[in-house]
Amino acid sequence: MILETKNLSKSFGPSKAVDNLSLEIPEGSVFGFLGPNGSGKSTTIRMMTDLIRPDEGEVFIQGQSVQKKHQKALGKVGAFIERADFYKHLSAKTNLEMLARMDGKGYSQIPIVLERVGLSSRANDKVKHYSQGMRQRLGIAQALLAKPKLLILDEPTNGLDPQGMKEVRDLIKELNNEGITIFISSHLLNEVQKMCTHVAIIFEGKLITSGSMNTLLTESEIFTTEISVEPIEKAKSILYPLDWIIKCDERNGVLMVNTSQDKISDIIFILVQNGCAVNSVISKTSLEDLYLSKTGTNGA
Amino acid sequence: MALDMIGLIHNELLKIIGRWRSYIGFIGIAILMPLILWGFSYGGGEIHDEYASELGNNFLIVGSIFNAFLATYIVMNAFWIHMPFLVALAAGDAVAAEGASGTFRIILTRSTSRIKILFAKLFATWIYTALLILFLAFMSLGIGSLWLGSGDLIVFDKGILILDQSEAWVRMALSFGLAIFVMCVVATLCFMFSAMVDNAIGPIVGAIFLIVIGYIIMAIPIELFEKMEPYIFVTYFDVWQQAFKDPIPWDHIIKSLSILVIYTVGFIGISIAVFLKRDIKS
Repeated sequence: MILETKNLSKSFGPSKAVDNLSLEIPEGSVFGFLGPNGSGKSTTIRMMTDLIRPDEGEVFIQGQSVQKKHQKALGKVGAFIERADFYKHLSAKTNLEMLARMDGKGYSQIPIVLERVGLSSRANDKVKHYSQGMRQRLGIAQALLAKPKLLILDEPTNGLDPQGMKEVRDLIKELNNEGITIFISSHLLNEVQKMCTHVAIIFEGKLITSGSMNTLLTESEIFTTEISVEPIEKAKSILYPLDWIIKCDERNGVLMVNTSQDKISDIIFILVQNGCAVNSVISKTSLEDLYLSKTGTNGA
Repeated sequence: MALDMIGLIHNELLKIIGRWRSYIGFIGIAILMPLILWGFSYGGGEIHDEYASELGNNFLIVGSIFNAFLATYIVMNAFWIHMPFLVALAAGDAVAAEGASGTFRIILTRSTSRIKILFAKLFATWIYTALLILFLAFMSLGIGSLWLGSGDLIVFDKGILILDQSEAWVRMALSFGLAIFVMCVVATLCFMFSAMVDNAIGPIVGAIFLIVIGYIIMAIPIELFEKMEPYIFVTYFDVWQQAFKDPIPWDHIIKSLSILVIYTVGFIGISIAVFLKRDIKS
């Protein structure tokens, strides 16, 4: 595990923001961290990055305690927390130079990360002249400066237009392909579902569920695929005996099948091979369904 | 390690340079000093003649009595109460501004320890403070020398003390050195408050409030306050004036500096204790 939280707890006054939270983030994953507003996501992320001291528990990054060995633990971590706030009177380049000076490395990375987030041509502009979207991208750039192995991103697509969101999503996938583990908190469940290999949901400071996206969606028996097929009875009799089909029911003239996402193509293949006509296949389950079923709320 | 710190101090100085508030003290001095020197130049004739006629019978005065040294001495006495305000304007921002602007989130999540960042901020604040006092010295002594000329320095302190020109330079250097030290104590006090909050106004008000309380205690001649005086740091703020006594009371200067050092260490200790435990929620 590249990142672990062990029995993390934090209270602000009488209210418990995080309650005995233990998470394990596998190396190489894109880990989505979800929960409603006030559920303790930001507090957890701030404890992971040593901005907030836990009352109990510890955070380990590559086996080093963030609380006891700050420098070693955060040496290979890039973080972008909530909003991209910079020294507005300085240029993007000067801001990054200051941060590279703090890291004691990363000068050579400055043009690379600026290029990567599409800000090369505006590198010498003062940050106060940047749009919110540009600041968000600069926020991601500063997180990449120290060539991190772990990237902690808290709402990185805030303030971005759909095109900007897609660019960030693509960038995250690209970074993950390069071997960087991504821990991401986002309100946008659809975005998380598209990007993440793993997910954890917290509610009122407590961990509700955690695991690989596929397993969670499948095992929760809510990963449902709607298959319009003829003849429907024949299709049902073909699929029903398969041991990897969790559930197979007829509803309103279509088959509702519960199985893992990667088996959909197998189902279509088997049905067609057995002479069934598959008219349409629609995925009916989303992370949102899982999220709502776990938290009973309307949004992350 | 040393290179790390130089880099961090460099960063902090860039931040200070970028804040408009940092220039208030310099602008104030740059406006006031020429005005004061102009006042001495055009309105000091009568005082000059009076001094010259009284002293001239008994002493041989080299140069003008109303010269840059005397102007600087008078200015320092007049300015002394107000300098802490100018120093506090920058020191109050040192840590609190990062909280207010949210930039703690990008600097404290890096691999640099909090204590290094705190000390870099403190050293940068001291450098700013020293530059402000040196600017005052430049404007009063430097510009004053060009405008009013130089000469012997006449100081009234339990009698008349006349310091010749070469000695006056040495005493002025000592005096400004002590002044820098005292103002660094003020800066550290303000810095301590700055490490506690996310708002730069609070530290400025807090530091000035404590200093004013100290001055009030010193000014009211009641027994309780007189007993408290030796323990109040403000009591030692006028240590720079010892540079103009003859002989220089080194024991008094060392005692004053020692007490101010103790206070400074205390302020720094509190800053460290608060800042290392502080949760960054902004």
